[in-house]
Amino acid sequence: MFQNSGLSLEQAPPISVVFRFFLAGSLFGIFGGVWLMMNGGSALDSSDSAGVVMTHILTLGVMLPFMFGALEQMLPVLGGVVIREPVKTAIRTQYPMLVGTIVLLCALRTSSPEAYLVAAILLSLAIVPISLKILSSLLAVKSHSSSSRGMGLALFNLLLLLFIALRLLAARNGLGGGEYYPELKSAHIAFGLYGWIALLIVSVSFQVIEMFYVAKAYPPALSHYLPPSLVILAIANLIGALHYPPLMPWLEGAMQLALLIYAIYTLERLYRRKRRAPDTTVRFWMLSMLSLSLSMLISIASKIFTPAPELEILNYILYFSFASGVLFAMTYKIVPFLTWFHLSSEGYLDAPMMHEVISPAYGKYHLWIELATILLAILSIFVPALWTLTGASMALSFIWLTIAVGGAWRKYLYTHRHSKRFDMGSFRL
Amino acid sequence: MQISNYLIHEHRECDNFFAKAEELASRKSWEEAEKTFLEFANKTLLHFKKEEEELFPLFEELTGSSDGPTQVMKYEHDQVRGLFGKMAEALQKRDMQSYLSLSESMMILLQQHNMKEEQMLYAMCDRMMPMEKKSEVIERMEALKE
Repeated sequence: MFQNSGLSLEQAPPISVVFRFFLAGSLFGIFGGVWLMMNGGSALDSSDSAGVVMTHILTLGVMLPFMFGALEQMLPVLGGVVIREPVKTAIRTQYPMLVGTIVLLCALRTSSPEAYLVAAILLSLAIVPISLKILSSLLAVKSHSSSSRGMGLALFNLLLLLFIALRLLAARNGLGGGEYYPELKSAHIAFGLYGWIALLIVSVSFQVIEMFYVAKAYPPALSHYLPPSLVILAIANLIGALHYPPLMPWLEGAMQLALLIYAIYTLERLYRRKRRAPDTTVRFWMLSMLSLSLSMLISIASKIFTPAPELEILNYILYFSFASGVLFAMTYKIVPFLTWFHLSSEGYLDAPMMHEVISPAYGKYHLWIELATILLAILSIFVPALWTLTGASMALSFIWLTIAVGGAWRKYLYTHRHSKRFDMGSFRL
Repeated sequence: MQISNYLIHEHRECDNFFAKAEELASRKSWEEAEKTFLEFANKTLLHFKKEEEELFPLFEELTGSSDGPTQVMKYEHDQVRGLFGKMAEALQKRDMQSYLSLSESMMILLQQHNMKEEQMLYAMCDRMMPMEKKSEVIERMEALKE
Protein backbone atom coordinates (compact mmCIF):
# COMPACT_ATOMS: atom_id res chain seq x y z
CA MET A 1 0.00 0.00 0.00
CA PHE A 2 2.72 2.43 0.84
CA GLN A 3 6.09 3.28 -0.57
CA ASN A 4 8.85 5.49 0.67
CA SER A 5 10.83 6.23 -2.45
CA GLY A 6 10.44 7.65 -5.91
CA LEU A 7 10.83 11.03 -7.46
CA SER A 8 9.22 14.10 -6.05
CA LEU A 9 6.18 14.04 -8.35
CA GLU A 10 5.63 10.35 -7.72
CA GLN A 11 5.52 11.09 -3.99
CA ALA A 12 2.82 13.72 -4.40
CA PRO A 13 -0.74 12.37 -4.65
CA PRO A 14 -2.57 12.80 -7.98
CA ILE A 15 -4.33 16.13 -8.04
CA SER A 16 -7.77 14.47 -8.26
CA VAL A 17 -7.23 12.72 -4.92
CA VAL A 18 -6.89 15.96 -2.98
CA PHE A 19 -9.36 18.02 -5.02
CA ARG A 20 -12.19 15.45 -4.85
CA PHE A 21 -12.11 15.60 -1.04
CA PHE A 22 -11.92 19.41 -1.02
CA LEU A 23 -14.83 19.72 -3.46
CA ALA A 24 -17.00 17.32 -1.45
CA GLY A 25 -16.26 19.30 1.74
CA SER A 26 -17.08 22.59 0.00
CA LEU A 27 -20.42 21.23 -1.28
CA PHE A 28 -21.38 20.13 2.23
CA GLY A 29 -20.46 23.65 3.40
CA ILE A 30 -22.98 25.09 0.92
CA PHE A 31 -25.55 22.62 2.23
CA GLY A 32 -24.74 23.82 5.76
CA GLY A 33 -25.56 27.39 4.72
CA VAL A 34 -28.84 26.26 3.14
CA TRP A 35 -29.68 24.24 6.28
CA LEU A 36 -29.13 27.36 8.39
CA MET A 37 -31.39 29.36 6.06
CA MET A 38 -34.09 26.69 6.41
CA ASN A 39 -33.88 26.18 10.17
CA GLY A 40 -32.73 29.54 11.55
CA GLY A 41 -31.43 29.62 15.14
CA SER A 42 -32.51 26.03 15.88
CA ALA A 43 -29.71 24.87 13.51
CA LEU A 44 -27.29 26.00 16.22
CA ASP A 45 -29.25 24.58 19.15
CA SER A 46 -27.64 21.37 20.36
CA SER A 47 -30.89 20.20 21.99
CA ASP A 48 -32.73 20.39 18.64
CA SER A 49 -32.34 17.70 15.96
CA ALA A 50 -31.72 20.50 13.40
CA GLY A 51 -28.72 21.55 15.52
CA VAL A 52 -27.36 18.00 15.71
CA VAL A 53 -27.73 17.73 11.92
CA MET A 54 -25.88 21.04 11.45
CA THR A 55 -23.02 19.92 13.68
CA HIS A 56 -22.62 16.71 11.64
CA ILE A 57 -22.81 18.61 8.34
CA LEU A 58 -19.88 20.72 9.54
CA THR A 59 -17.82 17.92 11.12
CA LEU A 60 -18.49 14.85 8.94
CA GLY A 61 -19.53 16.70 5.79
CA VAL A 62 -16.97 19.52 5.75
CA MET A 63 -14.08 18.83 8.14
CA LEU A 64 -13.61 15.09 7.54
CA PRO A 65 -13.08 15.21 3.74
CA PHE A 66 -10.85 18.28 4.07
CA MET A 67 -8.85 16.38 6.70
CA PHE A 68 -8.36 13.36 4.44
CA GLY A 69 -7.50 15.56 1.44
CA ALA A 70 -4.92 17.52 3.43
CA LEU A 71 -3.50 14.32 4.97
CA GLU A 72 -3.01 12.82 1.49
CA GLN A 73 -1.03 15.91 0.54
CA MET A 74 0.94 16.36 3.75
CA LEU A 75 1.83 12.80 4.75
CA PRO A 76 4.51 12.29 2.08
CA VAL A 77 6.16 15.52 3.21
CA LEU A 78 5.78 15.16 6.97
CA GLY A 79 6.20 11.44 7.40
CA GLY A 80 7.56 10.09 4.13
CA VAL A 81 4.36 8.09 3.80
CA VAL A 82 3.00 7.72 0.28
CA ILE A 83 -0.30 5.95 -0.28
CA ARG A 84 -0.12 3.45 -3.14
CA GLU A 85 -3.07 3.28 -5.53
CA PRO A 86 -4.13 6.69 -4.21
CA VAL A 87 -7.09 7.17 -6.56
CA LYS A 88 -8.61 3.77 -5.71
CA THR A 89 -8.03 4.38 -1.99
CA ALA A 90 -9.60 7.84 -2.22
CA ILE A 91 -12.66 6.48 -4.04
CA ARG A 92 -13.04 3.62 -1.57
CA THR A 93 -12.96 6.18 1.24
CA GLN A 94 -14.95 8.96 -0.33
CA TYR A 95 -18.04 7.18 -1.65
CA PRO A 96 -19.01 5.43 1.61
CA MET A 97 -18.14 8.66 3.44
CA LEU A 98 -20.43 10.72 1.21
CA VAL A 99 -23.36 8.32 1.29
CA GLY A 100 -22.80 7.48 4.98
CA THR A 101 -22.87 11.16 5.93
CA ILE A 102 -26.07 11.81 3.98
CA VAL A 103 -27.76 8.74 5.51
CA LEU A 104 -26.63 9.79 9.00
CA LEU A 105 -28.07 13.28 8.51
CA CYS A 106 -31.39 11.69 7.51
CA ALA A 107 -31.20 9.34 10.50
CA LEU A 108 -30.55 12.21 12.91
CA ARG A 109 -33.66 13.94 11.58
CA THR A 110 -35.95 10.88 11.38
CA SER A 111 -34.51 8.72 14.22
CA SER A 112 -34.83 5.69 11.93
CA PRO A 113 -32.87 2.74 13.44
CA GLU A 114 -32.33 1.26 9.96
CA ALA A 115 -30.85 4.50 8.68
CA TYR A 116 -28.57 4.69 11.73
CA LEU A 117 -27.36 1.14 11.05
CA VAL A 118 -26.61 1.85 7.37
CA ALA A 119 -24.83 5.11 8.28
CA ALA A 120 -22.75 3.34 10.94
CA ILE A 121 -21.64 0.65 8.49
CA LEU A 122 -20.82 3.08 5.67
CA LEU A 123 -18.95 5.56 7.85
CA SER A 124 -16.98 2.76 9.50
CA LEU A 125 -16.06 1.44 6.04
CA ALA A 126 -14.95 4.93 5.03
CA ILE A 127 -12.93 5.82 8.11
CA VAL A 128 -11.48 2.62 9.58
CA PRO A 129 -9.47 1.08 6.68
CA ILE A 130 -7.69 4.26 5.58
CA SER A 131 -7.04 5.40 9.16
CA LEU A 132 -5.54 2.03 10.15
CA LYS A 133 -3.36 1.94 7.02
CA ILE A 134 -2.03 5.46 7.56
CA LEU A 135 -1.52 4.81 11.28
CA SER A 136 0.40 1.57 10.72
CA SER A 137 2.56 3.34 8.17
CA LEU A 138 3.17 6.29 10.50
CA LEU A 139 4.17 3.87 13.26
CA ALA A 140 6.96 2.57 11.02
CA VAL A 141 8.45 6.08 10.65
CA LYS A 142 11.60 6.29 12.76
CA SER A 143 11.92 10.03 13.10
CA HIS A 144 8.78 11.97 13.96
CA SER A 145 8.16 15.69 14.16
CA SER A 146 5.56 17.14 16.52
CA SER A 147 3.34 17.53 13.45
CA SER A 148 3.53 13.97 12.13
CA ARG A 149 3.12 12.56 15.67
CA GLY A 150 0.14 14.87 16.28
CA MET A 151 -1.50 13.96 12.98
CA GLY A 152 -1.17 10.28 13.88
CA LEU A 153 -2.73 10.96 17.28
CA ALA A 154 -5.58 12.89 15.63
CA LEU A 155 -6.28 9.90 13.39
CA PHE A 156 -6.19 7.58 16.41
CA ASN A 157 -8.67 9.88 18.14
CA LEU A 158 -10.87 9.87 15.06
CA LEU A 159 -11.13 6.09 15.40
CA LEU A 160 -12.00 6.44 19.10
CA LEU A 161 -14.52 9.14 18.20
CA LEU A 162 -16.15 6.75 15.75
CA PHE A 163 -16.22 4.06 18.42
CA ILE A 164 -17.96 6.43 20.88
CA ALA A 165 -20.42 7.41 18.14
CA LEU A 166 -21.22 3.73 17.49
CA ARG A 167 -21.69 3.21 21.24
CA LEU A 168 -24.07 6.19 21.31
CA LEU A 169 -26.03 4.78 18.40
CA ALA A 170 -26.29 1.43 20.18
CA ALA A 171 -27.52 3.15 23.36
CA ARG A 172 -30.00 5.23 21.35
CA ASN A 173 -31.43 2.10 19.77
CA GLY A 174 -31.85 0.29 23.09
CA LEU A 175 -28.81 -1.95 22.75
CA GLY A 176 -27.45 -1.17 26.23
CA GLY A 177 -25.56 1.67 27.90
CA GLY A 178 -28.58 3.98 27.81
CA GLU A 179 -27.99 5.07 31.41
CA TYR A 180 -24.73 6.77 30.36
CA TYR A 181 -26.23 8.42 27.25
CA PRO A 182 -25.98 12.12 28.31
CA GLU A 183 -22.42 11.69 29.63
CA LEU A 184 -21.32 9.70 26.56
CA LYS A 185 -22.83 12.36 24.32
CA SER A 186 -20.91 15.06 26.19
CA ALA A 187 -17.68 13.03 25.89
CA HIS A 188 -18.41 12.50 22.16
CA ILE A 189 -18.71 16.26 21.63
CA ALA A 190 -15.52 17.04 23.60
CA PHE A 191 -13.66 14.27 21.75
CA GLY A 192 -14.76 15.60 18.37
CA LEU A 193 -14.06 19.26 19.11
CA TYR A 194 -10.78 18.99 21.03
CA GLY A 195 -9.44 15.45 20.56
CA TRP A 196 -9.90 15.45 16.79
CA ILE A 197 -10.54 18.85 15.11
CA ALA A 198 -8.39 20.98 17.44
CA LEU A 199 -5.64 18.36 17.72
CA LEU A 200 -5.37 18.06 13.95
CA ILE A 201 -5.23 21.83 13.42
CA VAL A 202 -2.71 22.24 16.27
CA SER A 203 -0.47 19.51 14.80
CA VAL A 204 -0.55 20.95 11.28
CA SER A 205 0.14 24.45 12.55
CA PHE A 206 3.34 23.43 14.36
CA GLN A 207 4.88 22.90 10.93
CA VAL A 208 2.94 25.29 8.74
CA ILE A 209 3.15 28.51 10.79
CA GLU A 210 6.92 28.38 11.16
CA MET A 211 7.70 27.28 7.63
CA PHE A 212 5.14 29.01 5.40
CA TYR A 213 5.24 32.34 7.19
CA VAL A 214 8.88 32.29 8.37
CA ALA A 215 7.82 32.61 11.99
CA LYS A 216 9.51 31.64 15.24
CA ALA A 217 9.23 27.93 16.11
CA TYR A 218 6.78 27.02 18.89
CA PRO A 219 8.38 26.36 22.29
CA PRO A 220 9.34 22.65 22.37
CA ALA A 221 7.37 22.19 25.61
CA LEU A 222 4.20 23.23 23.75
CA SER A 223 4.80 21.34 20.50
CA HIS A 224 5.98 18.14 22.24
CA TYR A 225 3.42 17.93 25.01
CA LEU A 226 0.23 19.62 23.75
CA PRO A 227 -0.86 16.86 21.27
CA PRO A 228 -0.39 13.91 23.71
CA SER A 229 -1.93 16.00 26.52
CA LEU A 230 -5.05 16.59 24.42
CA VAL A 231 -5.29 12.84 23.74
CA ILE A 232 -4.85 11.89 27.39
CA LEU A 233 -7.35 14.51 28.56
CA ALA A 234 -9.92 13.48 25.92
CA ILE A 235 -9.59 9.80 26.91
CA ALA A 236 -9.72 10.68 30.63
CA ASN A 237 -12.86 12.70 29.88
CA LEU A 238 -14.40 9.63 28.24
CA ILE A 239 -13.53 7.45 31.24
CA GLY A 240 -14.87 10.21 33.51
CA ALA A 241 -18.14 10.17 31.52
CA LEU A 242 -18.61 6.48 32.34
CA HIS A 243 -17.27 6.34 35.91
CA TYR A 244 -17.07 9.78 37.52
CA PRO A 245 -18.97 12.54 35.61
CA PRO A 246 -18.11 15.37 38.11
CA LEU A 247 -14.53 15.17 36.78
CA MET A 248 -15.60 16.09 33.24
CA PRO A 249 -15.80 19.92 33.60
CA TRP A 250 -12.26 19.92 35.02
CA LEU A 251 -10.85 17.81 32.21
CA GLU A 252 -12.64 19.84 29.55
CA GLY A 253 -11.44 23.02 31.27
CA ALA A 254 -7.85 21.75 31.09
CA MET A 255 -8.19 21.13 27.34
CA GLN A 256 -9.73 24.56 26.85
CA LEU A 257 -6.97 26.27 28.82
CA ALA A 258 -4.30 24.43 26.81
CA LEU A 259 -5.94 25.51 23.55
CA LEU A 260 -6.21 29.10 24.77
CA ILE A 261 -2.47 29.15 25.49
CA TYR A 262 -1.79 27.60 22.07
CA ALA A 263 -3.95 30.22 20.31
CA ILE A 264 -2.11 33.07 22.05
CA TYR A 265 1.27 31.61 21.07
CA THR A 266 0.11 31.21 17.47
CA LEU A 267 -1.19 34.77 17.28
CA GLU A 268 2.11 36.06 18.64
CA ARG A 269 4.04 34.04 16.04
CA LEU A 270 1.84 35.26 13.20
CA TYR A 271 2.12 38.85 14.35
CA ARG A 272 5.92 38.70 14.53
CA ARG A 273 6.38 36.60 11.35
CA LYS A 274 9.27 37.56 9.10
CA ARG A 275 7.32 37.04 5.87
CA ARG A 276 5.60 40.42 5.65
CA ALA A 277 4.33 40.49 2.03
CA PRO A 278 0.51 40.74 1.88
CA ASP A 279 -1.07 37.30 2.29
CA THR A 280 -4.77 36.61 2.89
CA THR A 281 -4.03 33.19 4.36
CA VAL A 282 -2.30 34.90 7.31
CA ARG A 283 -5.50 36.88 7.93
CA PHE A 284 -7.52 33.63 7.86
CA TRP A 285 -5.14 32.09 10.43
CA MET A 286 -5.41 35.21 12.61
CA LEU A 287 -9.21 35.19 12.42
CA SER A 288 -9.14 31.52 13.31
CA MET A 289 -6.87 31.96 16.34
CA LEU A 290 -8.77 35.01 17.62
CA SER A 291 -11.98 32.98 17.38
CA LEU A 292 -10.38 30.05 19.21
CA SER A 293 -9.11 32.34 21.99
CA LEU A 294 -12.55 33.88 22.52
CA SER A 295 -14.28 30.52 22.28
CA MET A 296 -12.00 28.98 24.90
CA LEU A 297 -12.38 32.01 27.20
CA ILE A 298 -16.18 31.68 27.00
CA SER A 299 -15.96 27.91 27.60
CA ILE A 300 -13.77 28.37 30.67
CA ALA A 301 -15.95 31.20 32.01
CA SER A 302 -19.04 29.02 31.47
CA LYS A 303 -17.59 26.55 33.94
CA ILE A 304 -17.45 29.23 36.62
CA PHE A 305 -20.63 31.19 35.84
CA THR A 306 -23.94 29.84 34.53
CA PRO A 307 -23.81 30.76 30.85
CA ALA A 308 -26.61 32.60 29.10
CA PRO A 309 -28.00 30.59 26.14
CA GLU A 310 -26.77 33.37 23.82
CA LEU A 311 -23.19 32.73 24.96
CA GLU A 312 -23.47 29.05 24.04
CA ILE A 313 -24.53 29.97 20.50
CA LEU A 314 -21.76 32.57 20.31
CA ASN A 315 -19.31 29.87 21.36
CA TYR A 316 -20.58 27.59 18.59
CA ILE A 317 -20.11 30.35 16.00
CA LEU A 318 -16.58 31.13 17.24
CA TYR A 319 -15.50 27.49 17.18
CA PHE A 320 -16.81 27.16 13.63
CA SER A 321 -14.89 30.33 12.72
CA PHE A 322 -11.73 28.75 14.21
CA ALA A 323 -12.05 25.56 12.16
CA SER A 324 -13.21 27.17 8.90
CA GLY A 325 -10.52 29.88 9.03
CA VAL A 326 -7.75 27.26 9.01
CA LEU A 327 -9.57 25.24 6.38
CA PHE A 328 -9.73 28.26 4.03
CA ALA A 329 -6.11 29.27 4.75
CA MET A 330 -4.84 25.78 3.94
CA THR A 331 -7.00 25.43 0.82
CA TYR A 332 -5.73 28.72 -0.62
CA LYS A 333 -2.15 27.47 -0.17
CA ILE A 334 -2.54 23.81 -1.17
CA VAL A 335 -4.83 24.11 -4.23
CA PRO A 336 -2.85 26.64 -6.32
CA PHE A 337 0.46 25.04 -5.33
CA LEU A 338 -0.63 21.53 -6.35
CA THR A 339 -2.00 22.79 -9.68
CA TRP A 340 1.21 24.61 -10.53
CA PHE A 341 3.46 21.86 -9.12
CA HIS A 342 1.84 18.99 -11.02
CA LEU A 343 1.71 20.85 -14.32
CA SER A 344 5.24 22.23 -14.17
CA SER A 345 6.68 18.90 -12.96
CA GLU A 346 4.91 17.12 -15.82
CA GLY A 347 6.69 19.43 -18.27
CA TYR A 348 3.99 21.97 -19.20
CA LEU A 349 6.03 25.11 -19.76
CA ASP A 350 2.95 27.36 -19.77
CA ALA A 351 1.67 25.98 -16.46
CA PRO A 352 -0.27 28.75 -14.69
CA MET A 353 1.56 30.28 -11.74
CA MET A 354 -0.01 30.04 -8.29
CA HIS A 355 -1.56 33.50 -8.44
CA GLU A 356 -2.97 32.70 -11.87
CA VAL A 357 -4.67 29.59 -10.50
CA ILE A 358 -6.37 31.55 -7.69
CA SER A 359 -5.67 35.27 -7.64
CA PRO A 360 -4.81 36.91 -4.29
CA ALA A 361 -7.78 39.27 -4.83
CA TYR A 362 -10.14 36.25 -5.00
CA GLY A 363 -8.90 35.05 -1.60
CA LYS A 364 -9.24 38.57 -0.21
CA TYR A 365 -12.92 38.76 -1.27
CA HIS A 366 -13.45 35.41 0.44
CA LEU A 367 -12.02 36.78 3.66
CA TRP A 368 -14.58 39.60 3.55
CA ILE A 369 -17.41 37.13 2.89
CA GLU A 370 -16.24 35.00 5.82
CA LEU A 371 -16.00 38.02 8.11
CA ALA A 372 -19.51 39.07 7.05
CA THR A 373 -20.78 35.54 7.79
CA ILE A 374 -19.31 35.53 11.30
CA LEU A 375 -20.53 39.05 12.03
CA LEU A 376 -24.03 38.29 10.71
CA ALA A 377 -24.13 35.08 12.76
CA ILE A 378 -23.27 37.01 15.94
CA LEU A 379 -25.90 39.65 15.14
CA SER A 380 -28.46 36.92 14.44
CA ILE A 381 -28.24 35.78 18.08
CA PHE A 382 -29.93 39.05 19.00
CA VAL A 383 -31.91 39.62 15.77
CA PRO A 384 -33.18 36.15 14.76
CA ALA A 385 -34.60 37.50 11.49
CA LEU A 386 -31.00 37.68 10.28
CA TRP A 387 -30.39 33.90 10.41
CA THR A 388 -31.59 33.52 6.81
CA LEU A 389 -29.10 36.12 5.63
CA THR A 390 -26.37 34.45 7.72
CA GLY A 391 -27.16 31.11 6.07
CA ALA A 392 -27.02 32.73 2.64
CA SER A 393 -23.67 34.31 3.49
CA MET A 394 -22.32 30.97 4.72
CA ALA A 395 -23.53 29.26 1.54
CA LEU A 396 -21.86 32.01 -0.52
CA SER A 397 -18.60 31.51 1.41
CA PHE A 398 -18.53 27.81 0.46
CA ILE A 399 -19.74 28.52 -3.10
CA TRP A 400 -16.71 30.83 -3.32
CA LEU A 401 -14.50 27.99 -2.14
CA THR A 402 -16.11 25.48 -4.53
CA ILE A 403 -15.45 27.82 -7.46
CA ALA A 404 -11.83 28.24 -6.33
CA VAL A 405 -11.20 24.48 -6.11
CA GLY A 406 -13.28 23.62 -9.18
CA GLY A 407 -11.69 26.43 -11.18
CA ALA A 408 -8.19 25.22 -10.28
CA TRP A 409 -9.09 21.69 -11.33
CA ARG A 410 -10.55 23.02 -14.61
CA LYS A 411 -7.33 24.99 -15.31
CA TYR A 412 -5.29 21.88 -14.60
CA LEU A 413 -7.35 19.78 -17.01
CA TYR A 414 -7.39 22.54 -19.66
CA THR A 415 -3.59 22.86 -19.59
CA HIS A 416 -3.32 19.07 -19.79
CA ARG A 417 -5.51 18.93 -22.88
CA HIS A 418 -4.45 22.03 -24.74
CA SER A 419 -0.83 22.78 -23.90
CA LYS A 420 2.31 21.30 -25.29
CA ARG A 421 4.21 19.03 -22.96
CA PHE A 422 7.97 19.25 -22.81
CA ASP A 423 9.58 15.82 -22.53
CA MET A 424 11.55 16.12 -19.27
CA GLY A 425 12.80 12.55 -19.61
CA SER A 426 14.78 13.31 -22.75
CA PHE A 427 17.07 15.58 -20.75
CA ARG A 428 17.87 13.06 -18.05
CA LEU A 429 21.21 11.31 -18.39
CA MET B 1 27.74 19.25 16.40
CA GLN B 2 24.88 17.40 14.72
CA ILE B 3 24.46 17.55 10.92
CA SER B 4 20.82 18.55 11.39
CA ASN B 5 21.69 21.55 13.61
CA TYR B 6 24.20 22.84 11.09
CA LEU B 7 22.01 22.45 7.99
CA ILE B 8 18.69 23.47 9.62
CA HIS B 9 20.37 26.71 10.68
CA GLU B 10 21.23 27.29 7.01
CA HIS B 11 17.60 26.61 5.97
CA ARG B 12 16.38 29.26 8.40
CA GLU B 13 19.03 31.73 7.26
CA CYS B 14 17.91 31.30 3.63
CA ASP B 15 14.26 31.72 4.71
CA ASN B 16 15.10 35.08 6.27
CA PHE B 17 16.69 36.38 3.06
CA PHE B 18 13.76 35.01 1.06
CA ALA B 19 11.20 36.79 3.27
CA LYS B 20 13.13 40.07 3.14
CA ALA B 21 13.45 39.97 -0.68
CA GLU B 22 9.74 39.23 -1.02
CA GLU B 23 8.77 42.09 1.28
CA LEU B 24 11.03 44.51 -0.62
CA ALA B 25 9.56 43.41 -3.95
CA SER B 26 6.02 43.84 -2.61
CA ARG B 27 6.99 47.44 -1.71
CA LYS B 28 8.61 47.85 -5.15
CA SER B 29 12.02 48.62 -3.60
CA TRP B 30 13.56 46.93 -6.63
CA GLU B 31 17.27 47.58 -6.12
CA GLU B 32 17.27 46.37 -2.53
CA ALA B 33 15.03 43.46 -3.52
CA GLU B 34 17.54 42.41 -6.19
CA LYS B 35 20.42 42.56 -3.73
CA THR B 36 18.57 40.53 -1.10
CA PHE B 37 17.29 38.04 -3.68
CA LEU B 38 20.87 37.50 -4.83
CA GLU B 39 21.91 36.79 -1.23
CA PHE B 40 19.03 34.33 -0.93
CA ALA B 41 19.86 32.58 -4.20
CA ASN B 42 23.60 32.38 -3.49
CA LYS B 43 23.12 31.06 0.04
CA THR B 44 20.59 28.47 -1.15
CA LEU B 45 22.82 27.33 -4.03
CA LEU B 46 25.80 27.02 -1.71
CA HIS B 47 23.66 24.97 0.65
CA PHE B 48 22.69 22.65 -2.23
CA LYS B 49 26.37 22.35 -3.21
CA LYS B 50 27.29 21.34 0.34
CA GLU B 51 24.65 18.65 0.32
CA GLU B 52 25.31 17.34 -3.17
CA GLU B 53 29.10 17.32 -2.96
CA GLU B 54 29.66 16.30 0.65
CA LEU B 55 26.61 15.00 2.49
CA PHE B 56 24.75 12.98 -0.15
CA PRO B 57 27.75 10.89 -1.33
CA LEU B 58 28.48 9.99 2.27
CA PHE B 59 24.84 9.12 2.88
CA GLU B 60 24.80 6.97 -0.27
CA GLU B 61 27.97 5.23 0.88
CA LEU B 62 26.49 4.52 4.31
CA THR B 63 23.17 3.23 2.97
CA GLY B 64 24.66 1.54 -0.10
CA SER B 65 22.03 3.19 -2.30
CA SER B 66 22.30 6.08 -4.71
CA ASP B 67 18.74 6.05 -6.05
CA GLY B 68 16.80 6.56 -2.82
CA PRO B 69 16.15 9.78 -0.88
CA THR B 70 19.22 11.59 -2.25
CA GLN B 71 17.94 11.26 -5.82
CA VAL B 72 14.63 12.81 -4.78
CA MET B 73 16.47 15.66 -3.02
CA LYS B 74 18.67 16.34 -6.08
CA TYR B 75 15.62 16.38 -8.33
CA GLU B 76 13.95 18.91 -6.04
CA HIS B 77 17.14 21.02 -5.98
CA ASP B 78 16.85 21.20 -9.79
CA GLN B 79 13.23 22.34 -9.51
CA VAL B 80 14.30 25.13 -7.14
CA ARG B 81 17.18 26.13 -9.45
CA GLY B 82 14.67 26.44 -12.29
CA LEU B 83 12.54 28.83 -10.25
CA PHE B 84 15.54 31.04 -9.39
CA GLY B 85 15.89 31.95 -13.07
CA LYS B 86 12.23 32.85 -13.42
CA MET B 87 12.25 34.93 -10.22
CA ALA B 88 15.36 36.81 -11.34
CA GLU B 89 13.67 37.53 -14.67
CA ALA B 90 10.56 38.89 -12.91
CA LEU B 91 12.78 41.10 -10.75
CA GLN B 92 14.60 42.44 -13.80
CA LYS B 93 11.28 43.22 -15.48
CA ARG B 94 10.06 44.88 -12.26
CA ASP B 95 7.01 42.60 -12.50
CA MET B 96 5.73 42.50 -8.93
CA GLN B 97 2.76 40.18 -9.58
CA SER B 98 4.92 37.57 -11.31
CA TYR B 99 7.61 37.79 -8.65
CA LEU B 100 5.14 37.35 -5.78
CA SER B 101 3.40 34.47 -7.54
CA LEU B 102 6.72 32.73 -8.19
CA SER B 103 7.92 33.41 -4.66
CA GLU B 104 4.76 31.72 -3.32
CA SER B 105 5.58 28.60 -5.35
CA MET B 106 9.23 28.81 -4.32
CA MET B 107 8.30 29.04 -0.65
CA ILE B 108 6.07 25.97 -0.61
CA LEU B 109 8.42 23.97 -2.84
CA LEU B 110 11.39 24.84 -0.66
CA GLN B 111 9.57 24.26 2.60
CA GLN B 112 8.24 20.85 1.52
CA HIS B 113 11.78 19.97 0.50
CA ASN B 114 13.24 21.26 3.77
CA MET B 115 10.70 19.31 5.82
CA LYS B 116 11.69 16.06 4.09
CA GLU B 117 15.39 16.75 4.62
CA GLU B 118 15.01 17.82 8.24
CA GLN B 119 12.71 15.01 9.29
CA MET B 120 14.14 12.15 7.27
CA LEU B 121 17.50 12.66 5.63
CA TYR B 122 19.34 14.74 8.27
CA ALA B 123 17.81 12.69 11.08
CA MET B 124 19.05 9.49 9.38
CA CYS B 125 22.53 11.00 8.93
CA ASP B 126 22.68 11.95 12.60
CA ARG B 127 21.61 8.46 13.62
CA MET B 128 23.93 6.56 11.31
CA MET B 129 27.16 8.56 11.42
CA PRO B 130 29.69 8.41 14.25
CA MET B 131 30.43 11.79 15.86
CA GLU B 132 33.91 12.19 14.32
CA LYS B 133 32.50 11.54 10.85
CA LYS B 134 29.85 14.21 11.42
CA SER B 135 32.46 16.77 12.49
CA GLU B 136 34.56 15.91 9.46
CA VAL B 137 31.62 16.38 7.04
CA ILE B 138 30.63 19.66 8.64
CA GLU B 139 34.23 20.90 8.33
CA ARG B 140 34.31 19.96 4.65
CA MET B 141 30.94 21.62 4.01
CA GLU B 142 32.12 24.74 5.83
CA ALA B 143 35.18 24.91 3.56
CA LEU B 144 33.05 24.99 0.39
CA LYS B 145 32.59 28.33 -1.31
CA GLU B 146 29.91 29.61 -3.72
